Amino acid sequence: MILDWLLPVLISVALLLAVAGMLKRISLWRAGQPEKVSFFSGLMAMPRRYLVDLHHVVERDKYMSKTHVATAGGFVLSMVLILAVHLFGVENRWLSYALLSALVLMFVGALFVFKRRLNPPSRLSKGPWMRLPKSLLMFAVSFFIATLPAAGILPENFGGWLLAAVLAAGIVWGMGELLFGMGWGGPMKHAFAGSLHLAFHRRPERFGGGRSTGLKPVDLTAAKLGVEKPTDFKWNQLLGFDACVQCGKCEAMCPAFAAGQPLNPKKLIQDMVVGLAGGSDAKFAGSPYPGIEVGKAEGGPNKTITEGLVSPDTLWSCTTCRACVEECPMMIEHVDAIVDMRRFLTLEKGNTPNKGAEVLDNLIATDNPNGFNPGSRMNWAADQNLRVMKDVKEADVLFWVSDGAFDMRSQRILRSFVKVLKAANVDFAVLGDEERDSGDVARRLGDDATFQSLAKRNIAAMSQYKFKRIVTTDPHAFHCLKNEYADLYPEGQKPDYEVLHHTTFINELVKAGALSLEEFKGGTVTYHDPCYLGRYNGEYDSPRELLNELGIEIAEMERSGFRSRCCGGGGGAPITDIPGERRIADMRMAEIKETGAELVAVGCQQCTAMLEGVVEPRAEVKDIAELVADALIEGDAPVSKKNGKQAKPNADKRVAEEIL
Amino acid sequence: MSDEIIRRDPRAEWIARNRLHPLHDAMQQAGAAETRGPSGLIRRNPHAVGFIGPNGIKRIDRMNGNGPAVGGRRSAGAAKEVELPLHKVENPDYYVVVVPDMVGGRLSGHDRDVIGQAHKLIREGEGAGAVLAVVFGEHREEAFDKAGVDRLLNITGEAFEGYTPELRVAALEQVEKEYAPKYWLLPDSVAAGFELGCRLAARIGERPATQAWQVSSEEAICRGAGGTTDITRKTPRLMLLAEECAEPIDETRHEVLPVELEASVSVQAVIQDCGQVAVDPNAIPLGEAEFILSAGNGVTDWNQFHQAAEALGATEGASRVAVDDGNMPRFRQVGATGTWVTARVYVAVGISGAVQHLQGIGQCDKVIAINTDVGCDMVKRAALSCIADSGEVMAELIRLANAYRQEVVENAA
Amino acid sequence: MQPDKQNANLRIAALVSVGKHPGSGRARRAEQDARAVEMGLAMAPQGLEVLHAGDPHAEALRAYAGMGLKKIRILQQGENADAVPALSQYLGESKPDIVLTGVRAESGESSGMMAYLLGEKLGMPVVTRIAEIVSIDNGQANLLQALPRGQRRALRVPLPFVASVDMAAAAPRQSAFGPASRAEMEAKKADVEVRDEVQASWSEAPARKRPKRLKVVKAKTAADRFKAATAKSSGDGGKVLRDKPASEMAQAVFDLLLEEGVIR
Ligand SMILES: Cc1cc2nc3c(=O)[nH]c(=O)nc-3n(C[C@H](O)[C@H](O)[C@H](O)COP(=O)(O)OP(=O)(O)OC[C@H]3O[C@@H](n4cnc5c(N)ncnc54)[C@H](O)[C@@H]3O)c2cc1C
Ligand code: SF4
Ligand code: SF4
Repeated sequence: MILDWLLPVLISVALLLAVAGMLKRISLWRAGQPEKVSFFSGLMAMPRRYLVDLHHVVERDKYMSKTHVATAGGFVLSMVLILAVHLFGVENRWLSYALLSALVLMFVGALFVFKRRLNPPSRLSKGPWMRLPKSLLMFAVSFFIATLPAAGILPENFGGWLLAAVLAAGIVWGMGELLFGMGWGGPMKHAFAGSLHLAFHRRPERFGGGRSTGLKPVDLTAAKLGVEKPTDFKWNQLLGFDACVQCGKCEAMCPAFAAGQPLNPKKLIQDMVVGLAGGSDAKFAGSPYPGIEVGKAEGGPNKTITEGLVSPDTLWSCTTCRACVEECPMMIEHVDAIVDMRRFLTLEKGNTPNKGAEVLDNLIATDNPNGFNPGSRMNWAADQNLRVMKDVKEADVLFWVSDGAFDMRSQRILRSFVKVLKAANVDFAVLGDEERDSGDVARRLGDDATFQSLAKRNIAAMSQYKFKRIVTTDPHAFHCLKNEYADLYPEGQKPDYEVLHHTTFINELVKAGALSLEEFKGGTVTYHDPCYLGRYNGEYDSPRELLNELGIEIAEMERSGFRSRCCGGGGGAPITDIPGERRIADMRMAEIKETGAELVAVGCQQCTAMLEGVVEPRAEVKDIAELVADALIEGDAPVSKKNGKQAKPNADKRVAEEIL
Repeated sequence: MSDEIIRRDPRAEWIARNRLHPLHDAMQQAGAAETRGPSGLIRRNPHAVGFIGPNGIKRIDRMNGNGPAVGGRRSAGAAKEVELPLHKVENPDYYVVVVPDMVGGRLSGHDRDVIGQAHKLIREGEGAGAVLAVVFGEHREEAFDKAGVDRLLNITGEAFEGYTPELRVAALEQVEKEYAPKYWLLPDSVAAGFELGCRLAARIGERPATQAWQVSSEEAICRGAGGTTDITRKTPRLMLLAEECAEPIDETRHEVLPVELEASVSVQAVIQDCGQVAVDPNAIPLGEAEFILSAGNGVTDWNQFHQAAEALGATEGASRVAVDDGNMPRFRQVGATGTWVTARVYVAVGISGAVQHLQGIGQCDKVIAINTDVGCDMVKRAALSCIADSGEVMAELIRLANAYRQEVVENAA
Repeated sequence: MQPDKQNANLRIAALVSVGKHPGSGRARRAEQDARAVEMGLAMAPQGLEVLHAGDPHAEALRAYAGMGLKKIRILQQGENADAVPALSQYLGESKPDIVLTGVRAESGESSGMMAYLLGEKLGMPVVTRIAEIVSIDNGQANLLQALPRGQRRALRVPLPFVASVDMAAAAPRQSAFGPASRAEMEAKKADVEVRDEVQASWSEAPARKRPKRLKVVKAKTAADRFKAATAKSSGDGGKVLRDKPASEMAQAVFDLLLEEGVIR
């Protein structure tokens, strides 16, 4: 029969073409900048990363995860068996049966893909992606029928040349999509690029349950700072872009997109793909950047991205909340890419929009974003009697005050926290005027030079003193100190302290019985997870436990925990202030309202400012430190929570020491 | 003495201010500050500005005529203006030359301080010095005597009208030749003094002390480094003086003897003054505007708001909410993420006074709040607050402004 | 910025100094000087030379370079040398069409004399506080001079001239780290170096706080003094009007506006 010789030919041709396409694709990635990866261990780790880590993310959507397991598993299995049965002609009935069952599995999976595609949510891209389930079905069905004779279920020559022709057509379609398309940029590209992306991921720490959220430092002596053209990305970043399946999970989570600002993380990644391959975005079949028409953008590997491909406003809309990264099943790093491009705009072009330039100038000239006299950093604490490191040289805890020192509202949080520290007799001190802005805003605005300068000076200040832990009420400073400063220590030195957020620290104090708290007597309370505490540092529990300790039952919002929605205050977004249709903070406040909460507890002064910027009437906003400070029973010796016994005199001091 | 005690009558003062009050005319007839001229128009008597205290000492109006021109009603037996002693310099041993700014044709407060400084230097030195004021163009000052001007050199002529720095410096150079003043004193001001002083210094090769704020005949203390340092130096011949460098003269009168230059001044000026450009208050960059009417979420009638701004001649500002809601353009936003304004007077209509907004008006001198909520932060920040609906107050303001303009036009006619 | 304004043959020298942040006292690019550079870049990006007399290693100078300058020319001289002789000597030779300076420096004496001394030495007219160079035609420049409160005066001056640039001029573009760190600092020993003798005899200290003058009412009797002491000066903080007819409140507002002299 014709298929007997046609099939191997078709398969071989498809495979060859696919390989050719893949090589071409690889050459596109290799146009990127070199970056060291551990090649073999990456490849070795890939299956595990796929089956465990990636699956873990996909698993959040049970429907899709099962569908994907069936379809992809079925396909991979089928492909292997097809090679055996149809290309190498292994004549083994059991093998053919196995192939048939694999194809059935794939068919069933494809049916579910098909079903999802009947009425797809807006986050999914259409276009070729609408064709994919049909191609999958076609592939499965055609090969199924073509395999029946080999399995001895149908006689050889069944159906004659007509069926053979139909099957051949079906197989060409199926393989065209699934093999040819894999190398030449069809939807199936994701399988090929995705698996390599997992192998050569820039942040391998993310696999195996780890976390890697700190931005990578810029080499300030480089000939070009930041990313101007697609080829300025590291090669594995380019590879990562190609892994995108256009599932739009990122789009659905992106606060800037929801607020109608001109950013859609999915489109951004697709534009990067357009850039790395060259061409226009005319074929993009998903939601546009709000307010920007699709089809006008053009780019190429060596064309400046912000001239024609992506508008700078798109890049500046991002709050760096990492919701997209958290949600992306392909573990693509949107924030890295966005900040890389911002770095070029700021460090090379001097084009930080709006108040950006002013804030950066202030950070350079005064070490704080508002240009206050750096000598007035301690004014807020004039009545607090704080110990300053310069005097005491040593303390158990370094209280990192942050720029909240200059802001009246934040000062209330700081005072509350000091009250708590004092009540628990914690041995703490502050850096005073030696403290500088952590560099968070500068870094997110792309000014890594200023970030590094601030960080190095902060490190130098801290290195003079002895302390075991740093505690701060500012999750942004927390993140920088914990995850980003290590890169900037002088050669051969490492941070030798632990960095804690105040909610974690207070929670410890409470658990250790160093504080006695009365029940919270207010209405319904909800909790807003700050991005830089939650997604950046995985601290979702301490604030909740602490609120529970206060006797508060949290009325959780739908978007909470790792899916919490940003308040709009991160990444310098309030400074660049790109207009949208709504304010992110307003949307968040609406979500708070839905829970019926009269009070929203937060753990960040920036969130406080953003949420309080929403016009009244709205829920009251309080930092957890404030809630705890209000609930402190002062004077009494603390009551240990567990046994309810009166603690011994002076126990509070000891307990506090014990936990340090 | 009892019948000379003046009791302020707030109601009467208010009626005197309110030209629309039915009793206003009657009240004005009684007062002396304004009289009706033969044509029936109101004529103001500038000498009646301010009021005389119980002891017959005139309360000097430190606002230099910027204050409302009303005083307490004088009781019938009020003392007449007391004559201040006349300070005479018959044959001056030397001159201290002052070049006042003469903003609007009158001595400014800064000018008076500088003249005060001139007298202080004369008092400290030997011999009899006279203060010679050089005034360019037509002026409207009537109280050079009380400001301390012993000699007045008024250089007039069409050539000196407008912006003519080259010609003026040439004239001052001539003064230098003819009078060889012991000191040259000018106000270090944006208005004119700074420029003229620098030009003169460069021309006659004197190194000036600038932003001098404490000057004796020995030593001058000057602000340097953009106002962040104090430089103490020997007192030079030419000084650009800061505001409030010395107390103005207020207890003597002076001769104001006119003097003239012997030689005539002429120069080939190359800087051509093409006139002041008409700037619509609303086109003034927000950061430079001196009077801002700013709208927030408490404004409902936007047409009315624009009308009010126009009628008052104010530059428009807005809170972020007003901008977000599309009622005002983005470049009008005042605050942390908008413009930081420096207006002297800032009227916040229906703005609650969020920190981010207050940050933007930190440098404003007088804040006026119009708000329904007496507890809001803007009211706490404001010098004057009206707890009322913004629409009603703005309607009244428009009416008042229009009435005021009408009157000015009539007066000018 | 506006290409139609740019003039290919125009040669501009922008003089820059090391500024000083009022809050921290740290060296920075001076705000007015940066506006001068901005004006130069907008008018003649090709023909702009940025010039400094002083220490070529001053880091703050790089902040000007970060505006996109390939190089900054530095007439190297000692700390207490007078900048005018060196600059006028150099400018006398290079003969630019326009010399731009700030109105007043942020560090040192801040006398504001620079423009005038140069004008005098070079025999060029000096224009004070310009906000914009509108256009250049027939060897004459049309300028806008900044007056207080956002007002402007149109001036016309023949080239070459010296102008000091006001804060009202277009804000300077952002200084970018990359170009700043790569720009060439072309230092050359100044041909003339004159020690500033006068300055050597000064003493300098951080600015003392100046008490604000009180509104003194010269009172001859105790009753007067009492009255002066208790009198509330008009508009003094936090007067709240409520439960009054709107017309009355508006009148109070209007009176205050009149008193402040903002109604014209
Ligand atoms: C990062 C960040 C940056 C921000 N930057 C800025 C900024 O630059 N500028 C800015 O303005 N805001 C800024 N905001 C927003 C700010 O927090 C406030 O939300 C905003 O200023 C409130 O505007 P508003 O006062 O007009 O509105 P509201 O807070 O709603 O106040 C309206 C006021 O009008 C009064 N009112 C209501 N009806 C009437 C009536 N009929 N007559 C008279 N009064 C009435 C009410 O009593 C109330 O006081 C920022 C917020 C954040 C988080
Ligand atoms: S970037 Fe990730 S989350 Fe976004 S569409 Fe692509 S695969 Fe989905
Ligand atoms: S980090 Fe947040 S704001 Fe930025 S693209 Fe991702 S989801 Fe959107």
